[in-house]
Amino acid sequence: MAIRIEPRDPLTQAQGVEAGYAQTARRWPSQPLLRRPLGASELSGPQQLARRLPPTGGGKLGDLAGYGDKRAIGQLVRLRVRVLDEDGAPLPGTVVEAWHCNAAGKYIHPNDTHDAPVDPNFYGAARLVAGDSGLVELRTIKPGAYPVPDTGGWWRPPHVHLSVWGRVWLSRLVTQMFFPGEPLNEADAILNAIRDPGARERCIARLVPSKSTEMIFEHQLVVRGRKGSAALP
Amino acid sequence: MIRLIPTAEMTLGPFFPREFAEGANDLAQGASGEIIEITGRISELDGKALDNVIVEIWQADAAGRFDNPAFPGWGRAATDAQGNYRFRTIRPGAAPGRAPHVNFLILYSGLMRQLQTVMFFEDAADPALNVVKAKERLIAKPDGQNRYRFDIRLRGADETPFFDD
Repeated sequence: MAIRIEPRDPLTQAQGVEAGYAQTARRWPSQPLLRRPLGASELSGPQQLARRLPPTGGGKLGDLAGYGDKRAIGQLVRLRVRVLDEDGAPLPGTVVEAWHCNAAGKYIHPNDTHDAPVDPNFYGAARLVAGDSGLVELRTIKPGAYPVPDTGGWWRPPHVHLSVWGRVWLSRLVTQMFFPGEPLNEADAILNAIRDPGARERCIARLVPSKSTEMIFEHQLVVRGRKGSAALP
Repeated sequence: MIRLIPTAEMTLGPFFPREFAEGANDLAQGASGEIIEITGRISELDGKALDNVIVEIWQADAAGRFDNPAFPGWGRAATDAQGNYRFRTIRPGAAPGRAPHVNFLILYSGLMRQLQTVMFFEDAADPALNVVKAKERLIAKPDGQNRYRFDIRLRGADETPFFDD
């Protein structure tokens, strides 16, 4: 099936250098990005990636929260993330990587120098494979907020990093999921680099009613690509 | 007809889990073809090396095919504290209309979205290389037998050309 990729919309995608995020001015290219003709190389991609990137922590249902005396500290949440393409078709079998900090705002990573406690029962990374409806579920705890070093007061709101694959090489999506009603969402330099309010809103998960002991958040990820022939040279 | 808008890309951040970054930089295992090694250093403005940059590649098999179930074609590496990444793979063949090449995708803290570039083995007629002025920056440097070096400068002098699609 031929997949068509259309240019990024500058309203719904960040554009590179952001005043509130100093590293962007050291890392985003100064030269304009180049347009190239797209063909088989860019419009194909790895198949059955789950064989190369096997699930960690549970397959379709990941669990970072644990149980009993191994329970991670924090508000218990269940994230339901659905992966679709631009036609709204689900992507069963796609790989989803999720990672986030603990309830105190600390990542399990040697590069995190933030002076916040490590939770011995929390390891904040899970790799999942989407089920038939493109859905992955992750039982975890709600991440905390944390200050970004050397920025004079930028605090990251609670967020979950998500990395997913679409149908082709150019469908790759790495993004972050935010939580509704968080005051820090209003000033975050990463969320607010997206100009279109609707596009920002779509990066914030939706709280749905829950009768269990877990708060349930639903979220949708749309990877680039729709059916149709690309205009090939 | 349904038309959903692609989700906004966001930075990878500095804390991409080590366990995700490791174990996927050898594409050559079990594949047929000439084994090659691709290494390089990734740096920012002023040439400072960058640690824990995520580099993903996508390439054809030795015959120039992108749909060979026996060859993964995809790999991932992370840079070390000196900014160096390394892949072991096979030399891609020429796909129809293309010079042999390896697609590169860069993810990192401070990059609001992914960067795309392409490594070539020599200057040749190619529709992607044709749109680049500083072509030599996309051509890997031989670095011993079956070894290639492909340094990536995100910004500044000798900046690597990147594509937007």
